[in-house]
Amino acid sequence: MIVGDIIGLSLRNLRQAKLRTALTTLGVSIGIASLAGMVSLGVGLQDQVVGRFLQSGVFDAITVVSPSLLGAPGAFLAGRGGLRGRGGLRGNSQSPSPKLDDAALKQISAIENVREVYPNIRVPAELRFGEFSRTTMAGGVTMSSKGEGPFQTLSYGQFFPSESDRACILSLDIARQIAAQDPGGLIGKNLTLSYAARTSDGEVDPTTGFQVRRVDLECRLVGIVERDVAPLAIGGGPALSVIIPEGLAKSIDAEVVTNAQSLLRDVSEPKTYGSLTVKVKHAQFTQDVEDRLRGLGYTVFSVNDALRGAKNAFIILDVFLSLIGSIALAVSSLGIVNTMVMSILERTREIGIMKAIGASDNDIRRIFLIEASVIGVLGGLVGIALGWVVGRVINFGANVYIRSQGGTAGTLFSLPLWLIGSAIAFSIVVSLVAGSYPASRAARLDPIQALRHD
Amino acid sequence: MAALLETQDLKKHYKMGDTVVRALDGVSISVAEGQFVALLGPSGSGKSTLLNLIAGLDRPTFGMLRIDGNDLGAMSQDDLTRHRRRNVGIIFQSFNLVSTMTALENVTLAMMFDDLPKAEREQRGTELLESMGLAGRQRHRPKELSGGEQQRVAISRALANKPRLLLADEPTGNLDSRTSREIMDVLKGLNEREGKAVILVTHDANLASQYAHRTITLMDGMVQSESPS
Repeated sequence: MIVGDIIGLSLRNLRQAKLRTALTTLGVSIGIASLAGMVSLGVGLQDQVVGRFLQSGVFDAITVVSPSLLGAPGAFLAGRGGLRGRGGLRGNSQSPSPKLDDAALKQISAIENVREVYPNIRVPAELRFGEFSRTTMAGGVTMSSKGEGPFQTLSYGQFFPSESDRACILSLDIARQIAAQDPGGLIGKNLTLSYAARTSDGEVDPTTGFQVRRVDLECRLVGIVERDVAPLAIGGGPALSVIIPEGLAKSIDAEVVTNAQSLLRDVSEPKTYGSLTVKVKHAQFTQDVEDRLRGLGYTVFSVNDALRGAKNAFIILDVFLSLIGSIALAVSSLGIVNTMVMSILERTREIGIMKAIGASDNDIRRIFLIEASVIGVLGGLVGIALGWVVGRVINFGANVYIRSQGGTAGTLFSLPLWLIGSAIAFSIVVSLVAGSYPASRAARLDPIQALRHD
Repeated sequence: MAALLETQDLKKHYKMGDTVVRALDGVSISVAEGQFVALLGPSGSGKSTLLNLIAGLDRPTFGMLRIDGNDLGAMSQDDLTRHRRRNVGIIFQSFNLVSTMTALENVTLAMMFDDLPKAEREQRGTELLESMGLAGRQRHRPKELSGGEQQRVAISRALANKPRLLLADEPTGNLDSRTSREIMDVLKGLNEREGKAVILVTHDANLASQYAHRTITLMDGMVQSESPS
């Protein structure tokens, strides 16, 4: 039999039982919609979470921790970022780790695929503006952070114009504490950062008795970021509410006095840092560079491992969601079997006639298989459309809720092309599998028995 | 004349529970090209079983059944299907038309299984229906046709793939006597004008003697008599 004729016969058979075809197709559609919906929810969630992570700029960053903080990245993260240890003196490592000094910076930046290395500088300072005064931690960021992570979108103003500019960026939180009504109005105003610095000539401060003087640094507010800058994003330490250019941070760091130890530090000794941030050229090199740094004896960590865990979790979530979605599809495939068996019962005599006048078993089987796959194609198409609509509605509802909770709206359901294609293909495969039993039953019918059937 | 159909000690046994039903129990007949043969006998004598075997709808239990020298019992499923499609045309008592299809579609369906292109199918189908006096009835469904008309559609369908042997299983059983005669005349005409061999299964001895060249009477699955012998 010619393929076109088989399809023609199948289509006319389906048209003959319009309601039944429509209902079965709808059943398949619901199955496909739920499967596609579940998978697309999984994909959407993954895109959301992983996408946010990637935006945060943490995946191409590796943190190198000072040996004095060795084995305590947790404590480090918990907020001892301001502490500057003296390399190796208090370290509990078995082998002497290299000091995190300028030589280390040079060594690390020479490693392949390393984009940039910079120390994470945190200086305790007092932030003042008019009546407002607050002890805070100021952190330096490099110009390369522009447009990355938390600086992707600024609530107000813009990023620093240059590395050594006397400028600062505040978190929206602290900006609101200064000017609750109009934080944006602060842009361009000068704030004062006050810190304690060692005296250059060994002069003793008359009030404290130490070789310390107070420095009041005027700096222009250029921008306000929405969130506190997360520790990981710029290499550790507590959440920063005052951000200054790296150059400015370095110059403050050179003279700031944070505690007695730093006061007693020998100025001639090379300066060391609490931690460094290593940025790699691409997130895919993170692991490789991390391994090299470990090989050099540095204590390093990145959130790469956490990402891998998250990806695994999403795979499990996807599988779980598809399983739930598959239940509906399994039920609807039984619907196909039922419809086809019914149709065969109804058309037994017709099958007998066709066999008597020369239809082969294969002709009969193909007619029924084509009927099943037509239901599959239609069900797949309608199911995708249905899944898309439902996904949109849920998306809309969820985003309304997320916004009401103060979150940022996003796309929870994502329907990529591969999902559309595979859902339709899957629908056809399921239909063919479901149709194969009824089809071979029809093909095996004894024509004499079938002709007696009424 | 060369034998178109030949059987030798043909048997068909069914198992019905514990007992074996000998529907055919050693039938040896032969039908020549262009012959009109009537199979007579009471119900249960095995005439329909014999017809089903000749039609290739069933396989013999034992014995030989040759069409054009080819043994049906030894044929593959595919060859048997081809035999049904090309060598024989079957006409049933209850017409057996596909109720959802028009007269023309019923006729062309048989050619569809023989891979004939659509245009050719429709042309031949239309010609066949016209030759049966059904011009203008092509688009009617079986329900909209009288019994005689339905049977003529069925005959057109039987002729679709140009078989040399027509098998008619009580073709007039559901028709009144006037229509019966019309249908029998159609079969007679096909036999005489187109040289189609016809095997007519009937229990009506008058009909048999009136139209057939030969009459074979079956009884309990065996040939009881043949006339002329």
